[in-house]
Amino acid sequence: MSIVDLTSMGESQVEVRKEINERLSRLQDEVSDYCYQCAKCTSGCEAHKLLELEPHKIIALLKRGLIDELVNSDLIWTCMSCFKCRERCPQKVAPIDVLFALKNMAVAAGKQIPGNYTAMLQSVLSIGLLQDVKSVATRDNKTVSRSDLGLPDVSKPADPTKFMGMLSKLAVEKV
Amino acid sequence: MKYALYPGCVMPTEQYAYEMSIREIMPKLDVDLVDLKGFSCCGEPIKSVNQMLTLSLSARNIALAEKEGLDIFAPCPICHLALCETKRVLDSDSSMKERVNKHLSDEGLTYTGSSDIVSILDILYDKVGVEKIKQMVKKPFKDLKAATHYGCHLIRPSEIGRSDDSENPQKIEEILKTLGFKPDYYPEKLDCCGGLLTANLPESALTKTGQKLQSVQDQGFDLFVDTCPWCHRQYDSKQIKAGETVAAKLEMPVFYLTQLIGLSMGISSDKLGLNLNLSPIDKIKTGGK
Repeated sequence: MSIVDLTSMGESQVEVRKEINERLSRLQDEVSDYCYQCAKCTSGCEAHKLLELEPHKIIALLKRGLIDELVNSDLIWTCMSCFKCRERCPQKVAPIDVLFALKNMAVAAGKQIPGNYTAMLQSVLSIGLLQDVKSVATRDNKTVSRSDLGLPDVSKPADPTKFMGMLSKLAVEKV
Repeated sequence: MKYALYPGCVMPTEQYAYEMSIREIMPKLDVDLVDLKGFSCCGEPIKSVNQMLTLSLSARNIALAEKEGLDIFAPCPICHLALCETKRVLDSDSSMKERVNKHLSDEGLTYTGSSDIVSILDILYDKVGVEKIKQMVKKPFKDLKAATHYGCHLIRPSEIGRSDDSENPQKIEEILKTLGFKPDYYPEKLDCCGGLLTANLPESALTKTGQKLQSVQDQGFDLFVDTCPWCHRQYDSKQIKAGETVAAKLEMPVFYLTQLIGLSMGISSDKLGLNLNLSPIDKIKTGGK
């Protein structure tokens, strides 16, 4: 299965893209109405200080309908999800939600997904968790497991086949 | 008080100290934790990939607790936000609820909206309360200057209903004072750890971590206190690497709030997982420096 299959949630890619498109145009309409480019979002942005993300410019580009350009930009993947832009916007525009929609669109459009996201997603689909139980190092350089520490078995989907079925039976159509 | 413990992913697969300290202190504060089988990821860390997936996964976990008639305690702020946001969306949008429930029916689950979702601070500060914690303190700390780190998801966005004020959170400070610490303000207090960037920009994530810890260290704090397994992984487990990325020698003791509460109650360090903190915590002892 490719990553796109895994993310489609079973509704065909056309449907998924339609849904995200609707989400984006809804955001675009609200943004056009409310954002007045005060840049309060950018002044607090955690990714701005380090990676030059400028949320108010993302909003300005969305306002002008440059959605393809945004979807294809690496910049949308620098957001740290700190929620400061959403918290501080005097007009309740929430650039972070625009960024989530743009990233979802990039994935649904079959663009390469950066970094570890593919592995994380595959892990969630196969065992229900982002990663499997690990052994960890102690201060005195020993390695201990969850059960060594007296912790009960980790909670995972009771029936992995059904769980995976729920997510992946829905994931049938390719782009 | 009785809650289903929703462990999430990072805490039960590697941040064992958080889980151990929670399991130690909660019963002593009259909070019963129930372990349920079948939980999965909350979906928040993969929200960038597909937001619908996040909604479905969170709804699924809430539905599992609803089936047992239990409210949910989510110690990880990221999980807590995902579950709360999902609850808010599904409770206000019936067509979305229907759509998500269609996915859940494969596992025989239904989201109804009957369970409450509480965070670590909701429990410690609002349900248990500082008075009760104070009564349990047997071995207070003394004269230690503590820096607090709430974790972004615990306090923002306030629109969803978060555990403390988004710009000036004080609940961890209040709890620390009852344990004998001297928490102090620092300008970088609200800065992000960068942890969620680990998925695609791990170096940048470590730089964020290193920058914050460096300024905390420069301002003469004795220790750094957090409540999020993602943040703790950055500040404690990866402290040396974080220091390397900002060319600083970091020697900042980092604790989970729950570990400090446990220590001041007189619980042994073994039971609180202190042997798993990799930052230089040895210099911090109950009873002062």
